[in-house]
Amino acid sequence: MILARNLKSALSQLTLSGLCRRLSARIVDEANIEVQLAQVATSAALTYPGVWLRDNCRCPACFHSNSQSRQLNWQDFDATVRPLSLHMDTEKEQLRVCWSDGHESTYELDWLQRRSFNAKTQRDYLNDFYRPPAIHWSGREFEQIAQRFDYEQVMSEDAAVQHWLQALAVYGVALLHSAPLDEGVVRHLAERVGFIRRTTYGEEFIVQAKPGAQNYAYLSLPLPLHTDLPYYEYKPSVNILHCVVQTKSHGGSNLLVDAFHIADRLRRDHPLDFERLTQTIVDWNDIGGENGCEFHNIWRAPVICLDAAGEYTRINHSVPQRDSHFNVPLDQVLPWYESYARFVKLAHMDAHSFKTQPGDVLTFNNLRLLHGRTGYDDTEHNSRYIVGAYLDWDIIYSRLRVLKKRLAGSNSSNFPGSCSGSSAAA
Amino acid sequence: MLVQVSRDLQQQLVLLHVSAEQPAMQFPEIWLRDNCRCPKCYMKQTRSRLPHGWNYLDPTVRLQEISWCAEQQTLQIEWSDDHQSSYPISWLQERDFSQANRARYLRAYYRPEQRHWSGQQYELIRREFQYQELLESDEALLQWLHHLAVYGLALVKQAPLEEDVLRKLCNRVGFMRRTTYGDEWSVRAQPGASNYAYLAAPLPLHTDMPYFEYKPGVTLLHTLQQSDSPGGWNLLTDAFHVADLLRQRYPSSFHVLSQTPVDWADIGSDKELSFHNIWRAPVINLDANGRYVRINHSIPQRDSHFSVPADQVRPWYEAMAVFIRLANEQACTFKTAPGDVLTFDNLRMVHGRTGYDDTDHNVRHILGAFVDWDIAYSRWRVLKNALGHYK
Repeated sequence: MILARNLKSALSQLTLSGLCRRLSARIVDEANIEVQLAQVATSAALTYPGVWLRDNCRCPACFHSNSQSRQLNWQDFDATVRPLSLHMDTEKEQLRVCWSDGHESTYELDWLQRRSFNAKTQRDYLNDFYRPPAIHWSGREFEQIAQRFDYEQVMSEDAAVQHWLQALAVYGVALLHSAPLDEGVVRHLAERVGFIRRTTYGEEFIVQAKPGAQNYAYLSLPLPLHTDLPYYEYKPSVNILHCVVQTKSHGGSNLLVDAFHIADRLRRDHPLDFERLTQTIVDWNDIGGENGCEFHNIWRAPVICLDAAGEYTRINHSVPQRDSHFNVPLDQVLPWYESYARFVKLAHMDAHSFKTQPGDVLTFNNLRLLHGRTGYDDTEHNSRYIVGAYLDWDIIYSRLRVLKKRLAGSNSSNFPGSCSGSSAAA
Repeated sequence: MLVQVSRDLQQQLVLLHVSAEQPAMQFPEIWLRDNCRCPKCYMKQTRSRLPHGWNYLDPTVRLQEISWCAEQQTLQIEWSDDHQSSYPISWLQERDFSQANRARYLRAYYRPEQRHWSGQQYELIRREFQYQELLESDEALLQWLHHLAVYGLALVKQAPLEEDVLRKLCNRVGFMRRTTYGDEWSVRAQPGASNYAYLAAPLPLHTDMPYFEYKPGVTLLHTLQQSDSPGGWNLLTDAFHVADLLRQRYPSSFHVLSQTPVDWADIGSDKELSFHNIWRAPVINLDANGRYVRINHSIPQRDSHFSVPADQVRPWYEAMAVFIRLANEQACTFKTAPGDVLTFDNLRMVHGRTGYDDTDHNVRHILGAFVDWDIAYSRWRVLKNALGHYK
């Protein structure tokens, strides 16, 4: 609920109603439009590029409201279009613009305000609504950051789903407890969000010791830290692991590490290792078969993947799934091994260990966390049994946005990016 | 085979001389130790490295003794950590670190080299495959996947007018990629549709689902009924070729379109599922080596939120206008017939259609589905191997 309150207070800062103000607008630099929304001295005027306004005209010829999408004909679009005259309707709180291409557009002021090009508004929109920023943690901090949710509550209350997914997005890990011990749990949970991400191993997978298994995880040996399926370009985003039967032997503990935290430490303390692990392209692979379907997966990517802004987008790590083919120049090989050994050692030392109990569901970000387990011994009456499935971030973030809009309640029409009425039209 | 073994002590390399004509094969010592094939280090049944030693791997491990076993055709090594390894020559040859061998391996096993094409070259790269052959012949299946990977476009003919065609085709590759619109979707004019593609209006060039980080890789479109009206033509452009043209002729536009992140969005619902998808990425997406990995383009699915500084907006629009003009100029056009399955690379091609008019007796009807490249390339590798193309 704290989150919902914060959102509401953020929203109330954006709303226009109830304030006395002088609204005005003027053309600047011949091409852009400056809008003064409030008479408060601190409220700076907002400048909108004219070409963007023209592109986002809301009239029925330019915008198809049922599908919430732009339909103006870009074949004839004039990127040098200019505003010729403006009219501010203070009663209706609308801005009318006449354009050099003969078109006329009307914009609601609150629609404009939510799309301000002001850096802070944009940052708030992206952080609150696009994707919440990640908070990195060390193994020692696990108990402070790990949030626990009641399975039945998640299944019955939308707010609980939202809090679960938000925790997962920010910390990369969240736990559910008190789930029934049946095999449908991971599917029910995934369908509360959207749908299961299928892989070459199917939709749900069972992790239990299988002598002769073709995948290393399906053995009772210790499973060192790794990410799942690094050999996919489109790597599954989130693991859902439902503990149905836990081993009574000493082993079977879960190991988890925030590899973004390890990357932070390398960046700070061992910049050369960091650079090598972000630049050297590694061949990840998986060769085998499942249910009669053979596969040979390969994806080439560094251990630490960065986007154009230098932010972490993905960690790849798996000793068994690293190919013996290593397609880099000779002189990069030994340096890479030295840096990788440091990464693995730091991760191993930082790993937090705990043991899930029957009815626990562990969910974590597979693009960010490394996970593993200690070895264990099955007996005839006690064989460890975990059911797993994956979800993709595309689907999770979509759900999180839909819930944030819905749970912002009566303010929903003011929520960034809101689109009241689109569901009804579908 | 007569093999001579030597070492480069300074660079810690092992050199294998197979013949006087060829340069020696080269292998780093640390890599050889990491890839030891003995049962303690490598598990044959899972075809993977055993990971235990790796928590505290010692990168200073050194080679103590090395020899060539002519009888078994293996390289024998004794290591400073008291371990012994043995490597078959054929295994080593496959993994030689020379530039030429690495390039050969990547083209043969990883992904074939893509060939970009202009609208004028469409007839040259156009290739048809027979639906029944794809279901029955692994060789035909491989050729289709290969053509799709290299040119981004392939036409499948003579499919029955049944609803399970795409499912059968996708299952031959692996499995369908599900999205917020389900496994399969149906493109038929629906007045009041919540997705712009479900209208009879002209559909300008676009890629499907740019608003996903994990954008579907291959689009498959099965024509069940085509419009008898003059419209309903397919438009297709190799947007990697358009990017090539921009790079050559309009470098500043190329720079803007590869650097400016755009907000792509889809807000709506399908069946029970409400969605609000957003992904921020440039129109032209490059990897670290400057190679194209993905094109994003869709006028309807571009958000009105544009989360960049205001001074980047107008340059982006000007560059985008050039991109769209070139994409239209380079489009090839054709009209699929009932029974055709159009398949193309959705990370690379932009596609569209001209407007059309339905009548009571003639309602254009297309079924669609996706397959991901991870799955398609995996199948391509398995088939190449099974059919002996690697020999």
